[in-house]
Amino acid sequence: MILTETSVEEIKEKAAKYPRRKSAILPALTVAYRQLGYVDEEIYREVSKVIGVPNVEIAEAATFYTMFPKKPRGKYLIQVCHNISCALLGADSLISYLEEKLGINKGETTEDNLFTLISVECLGSCSTAPMMQINHDFHENLTRDKVDKILAGLKAKA
Amino acid sequence: MAEATAKKDTPEIAEQMVTLTIDGKEVSVPKGTTVLQAATQMGIHVPTFCWHPKLKPVGACRMCYVEVEKMPKLQVSCALEAMDGMVVYTDSDTVKQGRKAIIEFILLNHPLDCPTCDKGGECDLQNLTFAHGVDDSRFDFQKYRFVDEGMTTTFDDKRIGPEIVLNRNRCILCYKCVRANKEAFGEYDLGVYERGNTAEINSAPGEEVDNPYSGNLVEICPVGALTNSDWRYKIRVWLTTTTPSVCNYSSSGTNILFFKEEHKNKIYRVTSRPNDDIDDGWLADVTRYGYQVVNSPDRLKKPLIKKEGKQVEASWKEALDVIGKRFGEIKAKLGGVCVGALVAPSLDNASLYAASRLMRTAFESNNIDFRGDYRMLPDNPESPFMILASQPFRIADIDDSDVIVSFGSDLVKEHQNEYLRIRKACNFSNTSVFSINPYAVKSADVARQELVYKPGTEEIVINGICLAAIEDDLVDRNLAVGLKSRIAPAAAAEAARLCGVEIGALRNVARALSEGKKVTFFTGEIITRSRERDLIATALFNLRKLFKMESKGQMAALARYANSKGAEKLGLLPEPKPALKSKLTSIWGHDPDCPANITDAMMAQIKKEEIKGFFIMGANPMMLYPDREFVKEGLEKLEFLVVCDLFETETTELADVVLPLASWAEYDGYYVNLEGKTQKALRAVKPMGEAKPGYAIVNSIVAALKTEVFQSDEQIHSQVKELLKLESVIPIPDEFGDVHPASDDRGGEYNVALYVIDDPHHSGYLTEKAPSLANFVSEPYIEISFEVAAKLKVEQGDSVRVESEIGKVILPAKISEHITNEVALLPRNFASTGVTSVMMRKRRVDRVKLSRVVE
Amino acid sequence: MFYSPVITNAAEAAGHKDLHLFKYIEDPQQHKIETYEAHGGYKAWKKVLKGMSADQVIEEVKKSGLRGRGGAGFPTGMKWGFVPKASTKPRYLCCNADESEPGTCKDRVLMERDPHGVIEGMAISAYAIDCHLMFIYIRGEFDHCRERMEQAMDEAYARGHLGKNINGSGYDLEMIVHTGGGAYICGEETALLNSIEGERGMSRMRPPFPAIEGLYACPTIVNNVESLASVPHIINRGGDWYASLGTEKSKGTKIFSLSGHVKRPGNYEVEMGFNLKKLIFDPEYGGGMLDDKKLKGVIPGGASTPFLTPDMIDVGLDYEALQTVGSMLGSGAIIVINEDACIVWVIKKLIHFFRHESCGKCTPCREGTGWLEKIINRIELGQGQPGDIEKIEDVCGNILGRTICPLGDAAVMPIQSAIKQWRDEWLYHIEHKKCMVKTNFEFK
Ligand SMILES: Cc1cc2nc3c(=O)[nH]c(=O)nc-3n(C[C@H](O)[C@H](O)[C@H](O)COP(=O)(O)O)c2cc1C
Ligand code: SF4
Ligand code: FES
Repeated sequence: MILTETSVEEIKEKAAKYPRRKSAILPALTVAYRQLGYVDEEIYREVSKVIGVPNVEIAEAATFYTMFPKKPRGKYLIQVCHNISCALLGADSLISYLEEKLGINKGETTEDNLFTLISVECLGSCSTAPMMQINHDFHENLTRDKVDKILAGLKAKA
Repeated sequence: MAEATAKKDTPEIAEQMVTLTIDGKEVSVPKGTTVLQAATQMGIHVPTFCWHPKLKPVGACRMCYVEVEKMPKLQVSCALEAMDGMVVYTDSDTVKQGRKAIIEFILLNHPLDCPTCDKGGECDLQNLTFAHGVDDSRFDFQKYRFVDEGMTTTFDDKRIGPEIVLNRNRCILCYKCVRANKEAFGEYDLGVYERGNTAEINSAPGEEVDNPYSGNLVEICPVGALTNSDWRYKIRVWLTTTTPSVCNYSSSGTNILFFKEEHKNKIYRVTSRPNDDIDDGWLADVTRYGYQVVNSPDRLKKPLIKKEGKQVEASWKEALDVIGKRFGEIKAKLGGVCVGALVAPSLDNASLYAASRLMRTAFESNNIDFRGDYRMLPDNPESPFMILASQPFRIADIDDSDVIVSFGSDLVKEHQNEYLRIRKACNFSNTSVFSINPYAVKSADVARQELVYKPGTEEIVINGICLAAIEDDLVDRNLAVGLKSRIAPAAAAEAARLCGVEIGALRNVARALSEGKKVTFFTGEIITRSRERDLIATALFNLRKLFKMESKGQMAALARYANSKGAEKLGLLPEPKPALKSKLTSIWGHDPDCPANITDAMMAQIKKEEIKGFFIMGANPMMLYPDREFVKEGLEKLEFLVVCDLFETETTELADVVLPLASWAEYDGYYVNLEGKTQKALRAVKPMGEAKPGYAIVNSIVAALKTEVFQSDEQIHSQVKELLKLESVIPIPDEFGDVHPASDDRGGEYNVALYVIDDPHHSGYLTEKAPSLANFVSEPYIEISFEVAAKLKVEQGDSVRVESEIGKVILPAKISEHITNEVALLPRNFASTGVTSVMMRKRRVDRVKLSRVVE
Repeated sequence: MFYSPVITNAAEAAGHKDLHLFKYIEDPQQHKIETYEAHGGYKAWKKVLKGMSADQVIEEVKKSGLRGRGGAGFPTGMKWGFVPKASTKPRYLCCNADESEPGTCKDRVLMERDPHGVIEGMAISAYAIDCHLMFIYIRGEFDHCRERMEQAMDEAYARGHLGKNINGSGYDLEMIVHTGGGAYICGEETALLNSIEGERGMSRMRPPFPAIEGLYACPTIVNNVESLASVPHIINRGGDWYASLGTEKSKGTKIFSLSGHVKRPGNYEVEMGFNLKKLIFDPEYGGGMLDDKKLKGVIPGGASTPFLTPDMIDVGLDYEALQTVGSMLGSGAIIVINEDACIVWVIKKLIHFFRHESCGKCTPCREGTGWLEKIINRIELGQGQPGDIEKIEDVCGNILGRTICPLGDAAVMPIQSAIKQWRDEWLYHIEHKKCMVKTNFEFK
């Protein structure tokens, strides 16, 4: 098993609340994603066993939703909103700035495996644009200064 | 067990009608009918891609647009309920424009590779594009292409199952395949992944699409996205012609269509010929691919005669001369009683009837049976089990049954179409299914409750249900009193303990049976194969009377083979029913009154040298009758053995004369399905080599014997017709019967119950010759649960020794999540299995010892 | 704990007797149950449990004239009334917190800062339809919202506002916080139900409507966070009070998310019918155009609503008024665009979004959005062809009103209006193979 016992327990606990087993698919994928940062076929199979739902149903759901990458990403997944409200306030330039700072292109991971940079659809921070989400945290009203500080902070922490 | 599912609130209302206008004409349809169905009923064709008559509508493709007055937008007729006063147009300019736009959308990314596409000529998209006059594309971009690693072309052909090839580029995402797989078949080996315009169909990750209904997916795909290796790149559809027929591997008599090429005398494929009363248009794979047996190069093409211990090819004349001479001698010396016959219940009526007449009139012997693979069957034609088997049963009545009990039947392995019916009933109405078996079965996935009883305790389970009903006061008290004195144990709790089923489960069945308005209750092979089948039948009659089921629904033992019912109706048993017997006497002017022996007794008589000559047609007792040594000793002891078959088998090996038998696809024949319905299967191709139909073989034997018992084929047909008209249902006794649990001989260390099954992709002993079916499963195995496997310390595929008191076989383990208790399942479809060498004739349930083979 | 830096008009709300959703929104302790209760929280829920029948609750909400804040503006009380009284099946309430419509960021603020308000609203609404298990579907990316909601839910259970026999009333109510996995379509109510069921988030055919056959084929009500959060106030102060706010047909207050080129982007609670121009330019609100650039256009109700040109913005923010100018109130997300934005660039952003988010179930949306994106991209890249505009219009026409759910409409309406309002700019783009105005927005 790749899923830890804690994850399995958490999945079971969540699954137990729903009137039907199949409803546990998204909660289970979320738990797996939190543990691993990705969800692949092996995980589908494990989840399928834990919640007692056919493997194919897990795979169908998992690939429908964009939040569950199939491969591991860098330690920090930077998701920059490129949608309209953010774009009006320079999201595209924010992405270029990050590409430059990290020395990677959008969609890539830094060599030290620390940062992966992707752009995503609207994350509901339209009035605090531009923004990016790093792992689970939102960073809003971004400026060059702010970005520099955030990246430096994360690097120092790593 | 299925989870509790919330069902539709369906108030009981008498069928209400609604009247609407479609294209200027009024039509009245039952409430709940869709506009599409209403239009179709009027003969108006509404084009569709995602709609399937047996699946819930999803409204995905949008091809079925219609215009409805007072509704501003185009409506999808497949999901639009017909309402009173609706005014519908199926052919207005807006509708045409809407449909044309859909075709245009679908074609954006669809390759125009029709010339090399197997669906060409029968492709919905091709046809509808033609019909809507779309001849140019306004899409001036590169089409989206799936190209997998290592693939250089856009022809993305992926094998996703033993018989399925997927081309994702052609897929129009109608989802019919995935929906049918899950909804109609209950299978989870195919899915749709990703989303939007890059969504794709594929097999479940790491799995193959190898379920026993997988061929349907190809058939319902509206384009060439799913094709099968069977048909692929072999012939263009317009070069073939079709012949209607029925399946020879199932007792439902699934309706099929042969696609063949006249000059090559070859069948290319089988598709369904939808019949809503029987099959709903679904074919099991064994039905779809089983025809390949007909084309097999291994077929017997000429008669074989044993000369100096070796079988050599001979002409028909030579063979018949030998037969006439040797049978003639036996008959002259010892009397025809010394000849016996075993025929297959998959042969057509004429062949069966001819064989019966041959035995009873030419030989004046009643030694004939058609049940070559059941131990110790009753010889009394009116024994309780035979009564149960004679009961009427209608497949379509499953649809609106509110309670369905499947007892002693691993449905997916024996009645594949009926399983789909039951699924449909569950999907579309409020149906409670109970699955009662000695091991957990796949088909219980739709069950409200699955009852798994201890092997060999069938009558206790039934008594237990009756007792639970009595104790819960669900049944007529007078009846209750009447029954209680006839059965044991005396309390439901005790019955529950003895059969190993929770008492609550017995109670649930009792409640459902007492509340059910229309009940379908049937038994399958596990009951038919049980030595105690008569006792179990009596227990069932008690239950039927207790719950007053006479007036609500049906109860029967389901016939297993394509023409078991025909054989039963035509009296292919040693002792025909009295009514049938007198009819035969009147037709033949001769009363065949002489000793009669069932298969088992015939074998015993052969050993006692009381039967000297034997005629086998289409049966393979060496492979199927319990206790191979017993059968072998018998057949070897015979003075003269004639075997007719399509192939050389373990049984033909022992024959003095082997005759090539024509397959059902090679001559016109009639078959009676499990409902008692006679269906015609037309000749699709000429018999292979010198093979002949069964009745023709019998006729030539009659001629060789120089008797003149029948004149013409027409005569056979008309006599068959007359016999079929006779009432064949034997009334169920009106009295309760005594049912005290029978003993079940368990043999000490041989303590694992063994059930001989058909692999879901096979039926009987012929289908391993169909390459497509062999692609699914070609090797025997022993199926066990994870628990048993753990106990034996075996892993998937490890060798397991299966031993009974009389023999042993070594087989690879197939560890399955379906079965949960300590039983072993053994398929009987492979010549190399040697199943019969561990099966015992007199056992109620076979029991074996399992052990790991240490290498 | 995360605290969204979005600007609100809390100060105004606190002083304004009729603004209620945002009254305590800037109180950093408001998410705690003690604070919430001290501000009068859970009073409505107690009142309902003590002495109101489900029908009375529905009546009150009907009287208030509350209409759904999720986009469609359907009368909330009326929707609840569709739940079949006779059905023996369980009923479910799902709070729609998927908030994925570009431009919208209001529900998030309610959940982060006033989670109990949402729970109380959900509880009362559940009671109104005799539901004993309610869900809140939060988009997966909103991890902070999930955390806040779960904390609040735990507190509510602990205080006996949820669970068995609530406040001795005999009423049981359980709650599940369900999170999504990244899919805009899951905000569409039937896709949301599929998503809770563990299916792919694809929309379902209607009928049957969720109120008759929704979650697990049982009667189900789906309401937006803001709609539900309004309910306790209606119960406390009466439907008549609520109905006295707003316009004749659009009652109450509404939160507008103001984003784009304004000085003070943020969430503002105002009465329905509030003037759009004022919202953008008033120093108390938007404060005018960012860097004092010229206004080019406004999307008034989230990315799926038609554009307004500067001459059209002197309009009331309510369902009817916006309809008269050819647009919609939608989710109340106002996106302000200045003259430096090339309209083709704007549309390229939007169509990319809709193509990406199309679930792929029905043909016109799945194929059509892909086709549109390709054509629009090529125009943006200066490779447009004569006839492209007509083709776009034609394709839009083949999608509009012909899909299973409104995502198809949502995708094409802004395109159609962008072409209508700025056709010359499109033509210029094709003819000159470049933008008429060079878009180049730099972040600071
Ligand atoms: C594509 C699409 C996305 C939607 N997204 C949301 C959403 O994020 N939040 C929401 O409350 N409603 C959303 N809706 C509207 C819902 O379908 C539904 O009408 C609403 O949740 C009902 O709640 P209300 O009556 O309280 O507004 C969306 C609709 C569509 C068609
Ligand atoms: S493979 Fe065929 S049946 Fe399946 S979704 Fe595609 S077009 Fe439809
Ligand atoms: S057939 Fe009606 S939408 Fe496909």
